Amino acid sequence: MTVMSLENVHKSFGKNEVLKGVSLSIAKGEVVGIIGASGGGKSTLLRCATLLETFERGSLSYGDLMVAQEVDGRTVYAKKDVLAQAKQRFGLVFQNFNLFPHYTVLKNITDAPLRVQKRDKDEVMQTAAQLIEKMGLQGKENMVPNELSGGQQQRVAIARALCSHPDILFFDEPTSALDPLLTREVLRVIRQLAEEHMTMVIVTHEMAFARDVADRVVFMDGGVIVEEGPAAELINNPQHERTRAFLSKTEQG
Amino acid sequence: MTFQTIMSILLAGLGMTAKIFVITLAGSLPLGIVIALARMSKFKILSWPAKFYISFLRGTPLMLQLMAIMFGPYYLFHLELGTNWKFVACCIGFILNYAAYFAEIYRSGIQSIPKGQHEAAAVLGYSKSQTFFLIVLPQVIKRILPAMGNEIITLVKDTSLAFVLGIAEMFTQAKAIAAREVSMLPYAITALIYWICCLLIEWLLSLGEKKMAYYHD
Ligand SMILES: Nc1ncnc2c1ncn2[C@@H]1O[C@H](COP(=O)(O)OP(=O)(O)OP(=O)(O)O)[C@@H](O)[C@H]1O
Ligand SMILES: [Mg+2]
Repeated sequence: MTVMSLENVHKSFGKNEVLKGVSLSIAKGEVVGIIGASGGGKSTLLRCATLLETFERGSLSYGDLMVAQEVDGRTVYAKKDVLAQAKQRFGLVFQNFNLFPHYTVLKNITDAPLRVQKRDKDEVMQTAAQLIEKMGLQGKENMVPNELSGGQQQRVAIARALCSHPDILFFDEPTSALDPLLTREVLRVIRQLAEEHMTMVIVTHEMAFARDVADRVVFMDGGVIVEEGPAAELINNPQHERTRAFLSKTEQG
Repeated sequence: MTFQTIMSILLAGLGMTAKIFVITLAGSLPLGIVIALARMSKFKILSWPAKFYISFLRGTPLMLQLMAIMFGPYYLFHLELGTNWKFVACCIGFILNYAAYFAEIYRSGIQSIPKGQHEAAAVLGYSKSQTFFLIVLPQVIKRILPAMGNEIITLVKDTSLAFVLGIAEMFTQAKAIAAREVSMLPYAITALIYWICCLLIEWLLSLGEKKMAYYHD
């Protein structure tokens, strides 16, 4: 079953075409790693998928929800209520967390389920408590983000995204703002989610992590998907010259 | 005139001063947000009038604005607006003028909130207005409180400008008593009262700052 599908997406900023026909479809339970050099369009792809950017050509769907469809060579977005519905189906974890600084940890996690999804308070509190435990954040419920380490903040951000019960979770370099020790604890919870078959798309510079955790790895460069395949195969034995060049560079660095 | 009479007249004037002060804040604080949002709008039909409004109201004397609103309806349209009009005109003038200053303070605060806050809220499904009132505005208020405090304290003293409309606020009364009694005393007392009011407001503002000190970003 396909959870999310992008087809032939073109996205430009002014005259600069950043995505040049990208297609990516994610099956339920799949973990996909996106790798590639800086400026290759990885973030832009996630931002298009999460409706933070609009694209000019191509289509986007979440399961049976057509979010954007190409008509006569131009993308037409669905109505507001469809977009709102689609937003319930995905979550996004940012590189720099973007927690709400004036909310406590618990409120960061529960506010959207309560206010946006209008779910039952007891149920949301229970879900949040489970997530807090899973993320190793017990005792931090009533703290505010600036009282936490970067790694803890990122785990709050993951819990916040998960509490809305998304079908798919996107990560844009979730550990790039963290030092190695804190990186490890964040990667551990993502790994745990992978074991539970949470559907995830992870943009990362951690090659070893991508190889171990992802089912499939996508290499992006210059606004196109150059190569994709089973994680270990692509990273250990890349077929394309550009992929090889990129991987050998990251190994040295 | 006994000291007691002087005091009772001045305090009655203070009541009027307080009325102008409270009504001005109640009107201009929300109006300022609206103007700030218009000013930041990507639609020129909204942003240009807002820019003009802010520039004009900050660029001309408040005293002149008060008189224009007070006498404009009569001179322009021959409207006789009754005895109440004086006070209404005064409040309108203060609200319009202070909203222009507040709008710029709001704008600086709103623009200082990182884009990531809007994006995180959008992805979680918050509507535009939920994002503004729940996520952005509370953080804006914390950031702009010191600048707002400045304006609010200025307003305490600016209320004395209502004397040009002959409104019986504290300064107008002090002037009247001073002229009749040939004494500086009413002015001295009035100065002291203004100062005490400002001290009170400074104290309230510091309470507000403390209340929001539980987080920083
Ligand atoms: N808002 C924007 N306005 C203009 N150009 C943009 C914008 N966002 C991204 N770009 C451009 O799009 C291209 C792709 O950027 P993107 O952030 O998607 O790359 P990336 O693969 O995520 O890189 P990194 O690994 O550095 O995060 C870059 O050339 C960038 O300058
Ligand atoms: Mg990026």
